[in-house]
Amino acid sequence: MSTLATDGRTRLTPWLLLAPVLLVLLVSFIAPILWLFRMSLNESDFGAIIPAVSLGTYIKILNDTYYLDLLGRTLRLAVTCSLVALAMAYPMALFLSRMTSRWRTPLTVLAASPLLISAVVRSFGWMITLGDDGLLNNLLLGAGLIAAPLRIINNYFGVVIGLSESIMPYMFLTIMAGLGKLDRRLDDAAMSLGAPPHIVFLRIILPLSLPAIVAGLTIGFVLSVSSFITPTLLGGGRVFLLATEVYDLALMSLDWPTAAALSFLMLGLFLVAMLVTALLVRLMTRTR
Amino acid sequence: MTRLLSILGRAYVIAIFGFIFLPMLIILVISFSADSYLSFPPSGWSLKWYSTVLGNATFMAGLKNSAIIALIVAVLSLLLGLPAAYALVRMEFPGRTLIRNLILAPLVLPAMMLGLGLLMVFTPAGLVATYPGLVLAHLVMTLPFSVRILQTTLSNLGTDLEEAAMTLGARPLQTFMQITLPRLMPGVIASSAIAAILSFDEIVLSLFIVGPRLQTLPVAIYRYVDERTDPMVAVLAVLLIAISLAIVLVVERSVGFAKAFGR
Amino acid sequence: MNLRPSPLADTAPPHIRIDRLTFDYGGARPAVDALSFDIAKGEFIGLLGPSGCGKSTTLRMFAGLLTPTSGQIMIGGQNIVSRPPWERNLGLVFQSYALFPHMTVEQNVAFGLRLRKVSKEDQRARVAEALRAVRLESYGSRWPSELSGGQQQRVAIARAIVIEPEILLLDEPLSNLDARLRDEMRFEIRDIQTRTGITTLFVTHDQQEALTMCDRIAVMNAGRLEQIGTPTDVYDRAATPFVANFIGRANNLSSRLSLVGGQPVLVCDGQTLPQPLLVDVPANSAAGGTVAAMVRPHAIRLMPPAPDQISGTVIRRVFVGSMIETEIRLDGGQTLIAELRPNSPDAALANLGARVTLDWLASDMRLFAS
Repeated sequence: MSTLATDGRTRLTPWLLLAPVLLVLLVSFIAPILWLFRMSLNESDFGAIIPAVSLGTYIKILNDTYYLDLLGRTLRLAVTCSLVALAMAYPMALFLSRMTSRWRTPLTVLAASPLLISAVVRSFGWMITLGDDGLLNNLLLGAGLIAAPLRIINNYFGVVIGLSESIMPYMFLTIMAGLGKLDRRLDDAAMSLGAPPHIVFLRIILPLSLPAIVAGLTIGFVLSVSSFITPTLLGGGRVFLLATEVYDLALMSLDWPTAAALSFLMLGLFLVAMLVTALLVRLMTRTR
Repeated sequence: MTRLLSILGRAYVIAIFGFIFLPMLIILVISFSADSYLSFPPSGWSLKWYSTVLGNATFMAGLKNSAIIALIVAVLSLLLGLPAAYALVRMEFPGRTLIRNLILAPLVLPAMMLGLGLLMVFTPAGLVATYPGLVLAHLVMTLPFSVRILQTTLSNLGTDLEEAAMTLGARPLQTFMQITLPRLMPGVIASSAIAAILSFDEIVLSLFIVGPRLQTLPVAIYRYVDERTDPMVAVLAVLLIAISLAIVLVVERSVGFAKAFGR
Repeated sequence: MNLRPSPLADTAPPHIRIDRLTFDYGGARPAVDALSFDIAKGEFIGLLGPSGCGKSTTLRMFAGLLTPTSGQIMIGGQNIVSRPPWERNLGLVFQSYALFPHMTVEQNVAFGLRLRKVSKEDQRARVAEALRAVRLESYGSRWPSELSGGQQQRVAIARAIVIEPEILLLDEPLSNLDARLRDEMRFEIRDIQTRTGITTLFVTHDQQEALTMCDRIAVMNAGRLEQIGTPTDVYDRAATPFVANFIGRANNLSSRLSLVGGQPVLVCDGQTLPQPLLVDVPANSAAGGTVAAMVRPHAIRLMPPAPDQISGTVIRRVFVGSMIETEIRLDGGQTLIAELRPNSPDAALANLGARVTLDWLASDMRLFAS
């Protein structure tokens, strides 16, 4: 029990203690969202805001193939990056969660440490590594393996690499948390019944870690869709996604209604993703 | 067969670690480059980019602002978050679960959305490109973490000690100051450190509400990188990483201290 | 709102009186249901019962960590229910000891004194005295993490008694200790209490502990007080079947009671049981009605088979060192357990499969209405 149930105290105290935080949330979170929603109900005409209360902007977006293309590309990117990041995060989480040596905690912290590094810095790192005059190209050129530099940044491919790497630590932590709940003795039981390691993995570990994997994929998806810095820097201004579009609309064309409506559509994507996850998890745990 | 798989597995994990940290290493190397453009490996070594950065007014102003804001945000995140965490863990009241989720909600939103909303709310309020405005914006990102960390720490502490103190005659505030707070120290330090780092590194929200009068370091770097790339950015990157690392080390040392004290 | 008259209304005010104390959190039944009893000054009272019986809840209400739904707790004639914990002047020893890890032993013990603004010299003197009482005089500057479980507990006790509380509350303090330490600490705690004379309420689920340590035992079950009495009272003269079965081992025989020529006759499945004393017949049992006859395993005597008297066949015989435990299936189908002394004539009769007749003293049997 975590509560201290001593009465004789006023019912007011919890609210007094929460008031400052709630005030900040009101000003910096609730008000902006409400304002944003109100703005999305306006309409726009080439940068000029037309006050209205209509769903016109939403309709305009959903009917415009440009935005639908954007949506498609964003989804494609998010799914790709989530899967790539999973291919890195899952083995690492599996490996570290089964480790028993004293290196386990330091290595886990190390694996999660990129979270402390700003997205700008990480993207920049990839620019130097993969750029025309960067490490990879110079290595390959010097070894004579290629004749001209590989164009792997300032395009979609570069974004995939950079984005996958940047969402990986988040996925790693999520999956680690989920794997921590797995009972190691199940492996032992399977092996004592005659299962070789790859069967133990396929039949025991993998199925039981599915909820963690799904949670990780959801995080990866959501982070990819909302990511802005990495696609802008590594895409060279040539990769157009929902997030980059919102930024352009908001700060360049100053078309706030469309930017707002697009944001809410992004949010809608998130909620759909989370609902799907919740359903999937419920399905998976029910067939047990 | 198992041995081979195990070796392959280990090699794969090492490769992933390399994948993550390789860019950082290269940044470090490039920061000492003598070239005027990004090239790896550099043709020569020099500290000229470090001195360029230190002499650059925009970046130094950005650094100063980011540091001040991070400090204020860390302190406020604690001062606001601690009472909130206490109420959410130690007290029962209607709507408790709702508030808990509400405090986590900012993390669910795309930061862009929040940034745009903040711009729209702060502009008429005159908070754009001001310290209070940036602090308020950063707080909304750091509070979920601060409150959560403090919540977890407090909840793990259990109520036995506090009950013991109360039966010995300590009033609630005395109990909090003399018993709860000292034991909460690791959580307090961790949550302040995380708040400081998050604020210092914060870019998306800041992008929307900075201005010519006030800019943060990550935004300054972003603006620069967007236009051109040269080893100066590497120096700035090293600076950012170094400061985050410094904060983490401070936490390590002090939490170690607190552990010796407590258990 | 409980309008039943208090069962204690006519007695002189004792040191502590619990009057119809109730705690209802909205579940199927109240956690504590109209609990009432008195505690005299200096008494060592045990609150005994299985988990979920409400004993810990009662203790927490005493300490002020829970507010009762209704009822009173009177200390020295004053109802303390509305007072917060820090105004109640009691000492509470937790199951987990709850020593402050960031303070030394001395600082822990001095904590309550410091809050009461006792002077530094007085603090030092009283702390030293308390540590002496628990035989930890030289441990003042140690840290709790450096102490063993038993030592931590003694510090917890010292911390609780140094403030000279009205009442000492102990919440299953021995549960976390290993068996040998537990036996040692039982005597230690009782010893400390006798020397200091502090009224003590001791919560436990272990009937052995209760029987060996307490002046009186309050047996609780499902929130209610089943019986309060001395260890002999609750063991020999159990008031309810629950008490009889919870304290010590008990055999329960379902039988029929009738009065023949003014004398009570008990018949179990056609065979007669030893005749009970008239005074032991439960007040509300009608002649011809069923009663449960309770007899303890060690009170049973075996005889060669005799007609009509309660008899059966030995179906199990186990040597347990200090006694031989036998299980006997009676002719009517019910079974009971008898504990026999090794090398006694009874034991010689109790071979596996042998037929025996059972006997016991009327005073060793309790009857409960069914």
